[in-house]
Amino acid sequence: MSATIARSPQALPPARRSFVRRNLPYLLIAPSVIMLLALIAYPLLFALRSSFYFWNLQIGPEPQAFVGFDNYVQAFNAFDFQDALVNTLILSIAGTAIEFVLGLSIALLLLRALPGMNVVRALLILPTTIAPIVVGFLFRYLYDPGGGLITWLLKSTGLPIPPEGLLGSPTTALAAVLFADVWQWTPFFAIVLYASLLSVPDEIIEAARLDRASAWTILMRIKLPLIRRTAVIIVMLRFMQLFNTFDTVLVLTRGGPGTSTRTLGYSLYEQGLINFNIGLVSAMTWITVLIVNVIVALYVFFAFRNEEW
Amino acid sequence: MSSPKARFLTALTYAGGLLFLAVFIGPILWFLALAIRPADTAFAMPPQFTFEPTLNAFRHILVDPGVNGPQVVNSLIVAIGAVVLNLPFSVPAAYALSRFKLRGKKHIMLWYLGLLMAPPIAFLIPYFILITRIGLQGSYFSMVLVLQTMTIPFSVWLMKSFIDEVPAELEEAARVDGARWFTIMWRITLPIVRPGIIVTSMFAFVFAWNNAAFPLVLSARSTATLPIGTLGYFATSGVTWNFIAAAAVLAMIPPMIIFLVFDRYVVRGLTFGSVKG
Repeated sequence: MSATIARSPQALPPARRSFVRRNLPYLLIAPSVIMLLALIAYPLLFALRSSFYFWNLQIGPEPQAFVGFDNYVQAFNAFDFQDALVNTLILSIAGTAIEFVLGLSIALLLLRALPGMNVVRALLILPTTIAPIVVGFLFRYLYDPGGGLITWLLKSTGLPIPPEGLLGSPTTALAAVLFADVWQWTPFFAIVLYASLLSVPDEIIEAARLDRASAWTILMRIKLPLIRRTAVIIVMLRFMQLFNTFDTVLVLTRGGPGTSTRTLGYSLYEQGLINFNIGLVSAMTWITVLIVNVIVALYVFFAFRNEEW
Repeated sequence: MSSPKARFLTALTYAGGLLFLAVFIGPILWFLALAIRPADTAFAMPPQFTFEPTLNAFRHILVDPGVNGPQVVNSLIVAIGAVVLNLPFSVPAAYALSRFKLRGKKHIMLWYLGLLMAPPIAFLIPYFILITRIGLQGSYFSMVLVLQTMTIPFSVWLMKSFIDEVPAELEEAARVDGARWFTIMWRITLPIVRPGIIVTSMFAFVFAWNNAAFPLVLSARSTATLPIGTLGYFATSGVTWNFIAAAAVLAMIPPMIIFLVFDRYVVRGLTFGSVKG
């Protein structure tokens, strides 16, 4: 021990350098991992603890009573939370599927590489660049029952519009929210799928054509399997973004009418930041976090299991 | 080439292209029109496609009383702050994940990706309570800090894809010459990937600029960002749609410019570097 302490300062650097060198990659990653862990561990642990208490922030700044699993029971039994779960799943599944199919169609059209179509491709991405909350405002204006452009277009084609407007009627509101998302994110699928389809080698397509494969067969059997990795990643991203939908709903419908457009994200917002029901919202947070983790884990397991990194 | 069928297909393609432009760009132009049309024509039925353009709404939001002017500055401070703070964390991590063989690399990368898909609203209420308790409520720093949950994982993924493209031979040569790893990273690799760092910063900026959930909860009146300012018009009743549109147009401009200027990198940016485009 004393020998180590007595070592001259000049002897120290090599030892330290070798420690640094041995662990260099981990030392470089550590700051970001520690920062992120600190930022997510606090909220999760805080929510875990709070979820076992009755705690309304309007009553007092500290938890009011220990209630065990009551908040979880209450969350699962609350109809609005069940509705939110169903709406969120409908939005996520329908949204991702519609955007993928429409985006793929547009990508195939862009692939015909006619002069001028490059401009279409460059401009097409613009909806995706807009903040979701602004897309909310935009569509609230377009859907306005009095003078909205979409309302007017549908009316002039003779389609029946509910008198309370597309966002005001429980039968159309969720579809209207979904349409706003499809408008914003279809270009995302179109542009990304276009870029990855471009990278499919021409020789493979030519060879298939010589074998008299139909365009449909080429698409389903050659092009799509070759861009599988890209498709897997963007479908997952989009599904989860849709699953977390919150700002668009806040502006468009505030979850209404009734619970017809309530999403999990909006439920959390309402219980936490309008009702200040911290105990209940913490339980809902953990339920949501667990659902998200299960979905992501399953998806990652199946999508990336054969990947090399 | 000019068989009737081919000509028909060409015409169909162009018709499709025009239709898509109308559907996807039309609404944006209609919102821009709302910002510069006379207030009383906003909800005219049938819609008025021609009108006398006016900058009244922009004057209202920027000059008199100009509520949104400071919010543009706030948005810039928060978004730029989020990007600047993220770099010292994400650049070394991206370098390590690109250059070194390390155990669990796949899991670390997927962990970052998982964070990008976490529901931000789930973290908001605890942050709100914590930040109120430590007296940082309404500060720029609180928003910049919380935005790191998005900007760090995003930048690590995107930046790694740029560093992956720098040939390892360059670093090998320097290593043979006896250069230390830090010198190699700082003097050789990072200057080469500088364009990649700029592209990453630009898209991370858009990410932060467009975020509304965090400022909604964490900002104060004096630090509110542009999307929150837009929400403010919404709370008041009356004919304020021109102001909403004008503020929204301001919020739209920087991301649109960045996407159009960095057109080549849009696919890569949107897919966190996993599709080269």
